[in-house]
Amino acid sequence: MAAKKTIAIIGAAGEMGSAIAKALINSNYRLLLMSRNKGNIGKLYAYLKRTSPSAEVAVIECEKEACWEADIILLAVPYKVEKEVAEKIREVATQKIAIDLSNPLNETYDYLITTPDTSAAEELQTALPNSKVVKAFNTIFACEFAQATTTEKQTKTFIAGNDKEALETVSEIAIAIGLTPVLCGSLSAARNLEQMMLQLIELKTEENYNNLIGLNIHRHSPVTFKSVIR
Amino acid sequence: MFELLHKKISAIISINEDELNYCKTLFVPKKLRKRQYLLQEGDVCKYQAFVEKGMLRSYHIDENGTEHILQFASEGWWMADLSSYLTGEPSLFNIEALEDSQLLLLSKFSWDTLMQRIPKFEHYFRIIIQNHLIATQKRVMQSHTETPEEMYLKFVQTYPECIKRIPQHMIASYLGISRETLSRLRKHLVSHG
Repeated sequence: MAAKKTIAIIGAAGEMGSAIAKALINSNYRLLLMSRNKGNIGKLYAYLKRTSPSAEVAVIECEKEACWEADIILLAVPYKVEKEVAEKIREVATQKIAIDLSNPLNETYDYLITTPDTSAAEELQTALPNSKVVKAFNTIFACEFAQATTTEKQTKTFIAGNDKEALETVSEIAIAIGLTPVLCGSLSAARNLEQMMLQLIELKTEENYNNLIGLNIHRHSPVTFKSVIR
Repeated sequence: MFELLHKKISAIISINEDELNYCKTLFVPKKLRKRQYLLQEGDVCKYQAFVEKGMLRSYHIDENGTEHILQFASEGWWMADLSSYLTGEPSLFNIEALEDSQLLLLSKFSWDTLMQRIPKFEHYFRIIIQNHLIATQKRVMQSHTETPEEMYLKFVQTYPECIKRIPQHMIASYLGISRETLSRLRKHLVSHG
């Protein structure tokens, strides 16, 4: 049996962080929860222990400590604080996978504040030069995670990164959550993924959908998607 | 975070600040809590671990459920299942933290990269592995050639600060003797100076 991998969820009390924590609580990962919101993180921890008493989960006070213990780092924080967090964790995030799920949107969610020649993920990679940044989950609304294992897996999660092994690891996490991963290429593909979320949000706003919509991509032939998981 | 590693490296090769900074970018800083595993039997050993703080043990469980401890590693020591690390085959061993530990992990790819970029690291690791090989050979011969008392005294010599940090039953397992024999042996040594 493989030794459990430890995932540090930074921003675990937020919408995305807590949704992913709940989706992973029964999987074979050890979870470390970190948030500046001490009240909400306590509630999340209590909820997780109630639903899954034997799960390995702990609350860690600071970002650096959480990432030092982690094998994989999930940054479930808004784009605007990513660089600040990166600065705190850079030393202990060396050679580790850092998952970026952010969307660099303006306040009214109608355009991206990154320039077309880069992405939030690539900026994070610059801030964490010795880590393996992977873009994932940015096109998924938080409520999707609760549905993932029960509904038909129509929503795909698009993954991009430069390191093959990191992509495999993140794909495994996606599958553990109940999502189907689709590899989109190197980290620069994050530019497309961030635009895709912008489009999804615009659709949601225009058409008055609630958050229960997702992106799917399908082929007409029975060939399965290129994925490192065969 | 790298103080002890730097000290140990500098004892064998001399590296400048740039080389040290480059070296740091290849290691994974990892904290393990007491009783957590770095490696479990059946996994491929992905890392060589350098112990900055704390203590690890490597052990194997036989078909009867008996633990056989291979090695301990405290501050300044390296630990890995080198066979699994180098061949990519599943390991027969478990590596577990005996205390809360701070490790620096080196993957095969990073190890090769380090030695390629800074060739004098080949010398450093050759010395490490050579010492490990000598110790392993001695260990293999130990149970055939030494009495339990001699093995125990050698152990105290090799791991001087560890005696207080390792439970007796683990020392017994490492020496391949029963707890009772060890207990008797220790009493005898205490009373006879």
